[in-house]
Parts: sequence; C-alpha cells; structure tokens
Amino acid sequence: MEGYGFFIPLILGAWAYISQIAQLTGLWWAEALISGALTGLIVGDFELGLQIGATLTLMSLGMWTYGGATMPDFNTGAIIGTAIGALGSGLEGGLAIAIPTSLLMTQLDVLGRATTTVFIHGADRQLETMNLKGVTKMHLLGQIPWGLSRGIPVFLAVWLGAGPIQSLIEWFPQWFINGIQLSGKMLPALGFALLLSQINVKKYWPYLLIGFVLFAYLNMSLIGIALIALAVSIIIMHMEGRSSNAR
Amino acid sequence: MPDSEVKLTQEVEKVKLDKQTLKKSLFRDMFTLQWSWNYERMQALGFLWAILPVLQKVYKKEDELKEAMKRHLQFYNTNPVASPLILGATIALEEDRAGKAASSIKVGLMGPLAGIGDTIQAVLFRPIIAVIAASLAMSGSGIGPLLIFLAGILWMAVKVPLFWLGYNKSTALISDVAGDGLLDSITNTATIAGITVIGGFIPSIMKGLVTPLQFARTITVDGQDVEKVIEVQEVLNGIVPYLIPVLVVGLAYYLIKKKVSPVKILLVLVALAFITSLLGIL
Repeated sequence: MEGYGFFIPLILGAWAYISQIAQLTGLWWAEALISGALTGLIVGDFELGLQIGATLTLMSLGMWTYGGATMPDFNTGAIIGTAIGALGSGLEGGLAIAIPTSLLMTQLDVLGRATTTVFIHGADRQLETMNLKGVTKMHLLGQIPWGLSRGIPVFLAVWLGAGPIQSLIEWFPQWFINGIQLSGKMLPALGFALLLSQINVKKYWPYLLIGFVLFAYLNMSLIGIALIALAVSIIIMHMEGRSSNAR
Repeated sequence: MPDSEVKLTQEVEKVKLDKQTLKKSLFRDMFTLQWSWNYERMQALGFLWAILPVLQKVYKKEDELKEAMKRHLQFYNTNPVASPLILGATIALEEDRAGKAASSIKVGLMGPLAGIGDTIQAVLFRPIIAVIAASLAMSGSGIGPLLIFLAGILWMAVKVPLFWLGYNKSTALISDVAGDGLLDSITNTATIAGITVIGGFIPSIMKGLVTPLQFARTITVDGQDVEKVIEVQEVLNGIVPYLIPVLVVGLAYYLIKKKVSPVKILLVLVALAFITSLLGIL
C-alpha cells in the first residue's frame, strides 16, 4: 500500500485553497485542467494530469454560475483524482475517484458558503463602533471558509486516502472500468446542456445548427468554427444596426 | 478672495481625489471583491472595502463616514469584471458628495451589467477557451492549461480600463445602459457567436460516443451466399452523423428544463454509461 508522505498532500491542499481564492479573485485557476496539470507536475505524471484535467474540464463546461445552484467541484476532483491515478491506476482509476469526489464536494461548498455569513455580520458590528480595521479584517478573513472547505479535504484525502484507495482500485472489475471510461465520454453532455440552458434556444437554434453542420458535415477545426461564429455574429449585429437606423 | 467663496468652501469642502486613492480602490475591487462573498449580501462587504479609501477622503466627520459606509454595506452582486465600471461611476458621485445618487447608480447598474458580463463570460469567452485548451491537453500539449491560465489574466486586465471609463462617464453610463439598446445588442451578438461555437463543439468533443453494434447478414451475390457484416455506426453516419452525442446532450438539456438538479443529471448520465456499456450498446 504505497501512498504519499506528508509534504506532497500539504502542497496540494495549499493549491486547492489558493486556486479557490484565485477563482473568487477572477483568475481562472480553479480549473480542472490547470489543477490537474499542476498536480501531475508535483506527483511526477504530467501527462496523466493533462488527461484527467482535460476530461474534467470538458465535464465542467457551463458550470460557472455565480452564487447559483450547487455544482460538482471538478477542480478539487482533478487534484485528488490525478494524485491517486498517478499511483498506478492511470486515467480510469483517477476518473473513478475524481467524479464521486466532485460530487461529494458540493456538500462542503454549501457549508463553506453558509459560514461566510458570519463575516458580514461581524462587519456590521465593527461598523457600529467605527472600527475600520475591524471591517477590513472581516472582509479579508471572509476567504477562509472558501479556501479551507477545499484545502482540508484535499490534504486529508491525499495524505491518508491515496494508498488505501489505490489498493481498492486494483480490485475494480473490467465492467466497472468500462463504465467509467464511457462516463468520461458522456459527461461533457451535461456541460453543454448547462450552457444551452443559459441561452434562449428557441430563438437562437439556427446558429446552433450552423455550428453543428460546420463540424459534422464539413469537418472544420475548432478554431475555424470559432472564427465563423465571430463573423456570423458581427454580420447579424450590422444588419440589426441597419434596420434600427432605417426606423 | 470674496467672502462668499470662503463660506462655500467651508460648507462643502469638496475633495478632489488623487490618483493614488482611486488606484487603491480599483485594486481592492479587482482582486478581493468576492473574498467575503456570502449568501446574505453577496459582494456587499467586498464593495465597501473597495470604496472605503474614497469614503475616508471625502467624509471627514465620523458620523458622515459611518452613514456612507452603511449605505455601501447593502446587498450588492454583479459580474466581477463589470464591477470596476460600477465602482468608478459610484466614486465619481461620492466625490461630489452625492451619496444618494451614488447608491442608486450602483443598484441601477449592477443588474444589467451582471447580465451582459455573465453572458459574455459564461456563454462565449470561457467555453471557447476551455474547449480549445482541453483539446490541446488531450493531445498531450502543455499549452492547454497555459492557455486558460493566460485567458484568466487577460479577463482580469479588462477591469482596469472599465474602471476609468466608469469614473470618467459617471452618470452618463446610466443613459448608455438604459438608453439605445446597446447592452441588448452586445448580449445578442455574444449569444449568437457563443451558440454557433457550441453547435460545433458538441459533435467535436463527444465524437468518442459511437456504438460498437454490428450484425451479420447473409446476402446472395452471383448465386453464392456471402456473409456481410453491417456496422450500425456506419449506417448512422450515413443518416445523421454524431446522432448519439446529440441525443445524450438532448437528454441532459431536457432534464435541466424539467428542473432536475445538475448533480442528479450527472448521476443519471453515469448510470446510463454503465448500463449501455454493460449491454454493449455503447
């Protein structure tokens, strides 16, 4: 039962904390691809980190709402999944751990978010006595529940869990591995569906169709599709501008 | 100096804010706006802390300062990139000691700007970057994660010019936002670009979903019985390519519209993957 010592889990836990705060800051560091790649570098399997991170990033498309519904936390999943997969079980083993981890993390996200209310009430109290330093402190401390709700689980899971979980994965039957592999291919559907749900599809479906045809029938590359999309949207903008000028 | 002017300056004591204070305020908003995000008043405390250096310069009397601070500890939530624009406009009014106008411009702008900011970010910019980055990473390229990393920094940098725009335009922003449908037009353009790209990304990203099903059929060629294997996927490709990815996305979309939570949909898809893989359909 080979696991990690104390030091690597500590670094990974710290990154889970930092990436979450960076995400609040507006930098996109709590991204499965970034965290997977970084974890891969730290545990010595960059290639695996890229694979797990990319798979989870595609699953997490459309999951960047602010303050809305709870979403699976694929960033934390990528860190723990890559660290465990690197012990020998590879992409399938890593994903088998990352997906349930991402789901479990939703509970801790709610806990973390609920706790931060303490700080705004603290700020109210400090303001009554005009303790400006106190107000500042309340704001800056507000990040702690956000960061710790990610950092602690990552640290504990990799420190204590990696070895035992790895031994468990070795017992996974082939049908289970197949199911995980297929899940990896199927789950981006959720991300796409979430993206579409933020758009008025009834109004905009012809453009969805144009994009589909560009790839499915014309085999255009992703960048090519993005450029066509840019051109189409600008043309529509000009046409609308003209019709409103005419009015 | 005429007497009246002396009186005026004593009464109002208008302060012209120095660049240092403005920058301090911008950087606080830029980097820490959401650090104390909470369910109750969301970004309120972050906004207060950002504008605090300005309030301290403008309101010298303690009761005035306290009143102003309380005003800015009210509910506030918008797209983080749009926030510096609102902050700039609010500061311009606080500088003139127009507290009421400052609070109302803040509330008036946060909704519409959240809408447009979230659309551009969530529907257009970020999906494109994420999908391209993930595709690069899948093929083993380290440029993938670097791309998202840099895109995030670029997205942050947009906040700086937006802040100065807000500060210089101030109340004129309101007419821009409410006025000639500019915001609607930008949101419309972003949505069209975003959904076109999504239409292409769905089959491209999910092209791995193919059925291994095949069946053998005996046909007679030139009087001889020949066994011919028919691959179901090839037949499908001839009718509608990428039919399976489209059906799975359609199922997930249908469930979202039925108000099923994303977490439950994830579980449904994993179950579907296990069942179809066990049955050998996918």
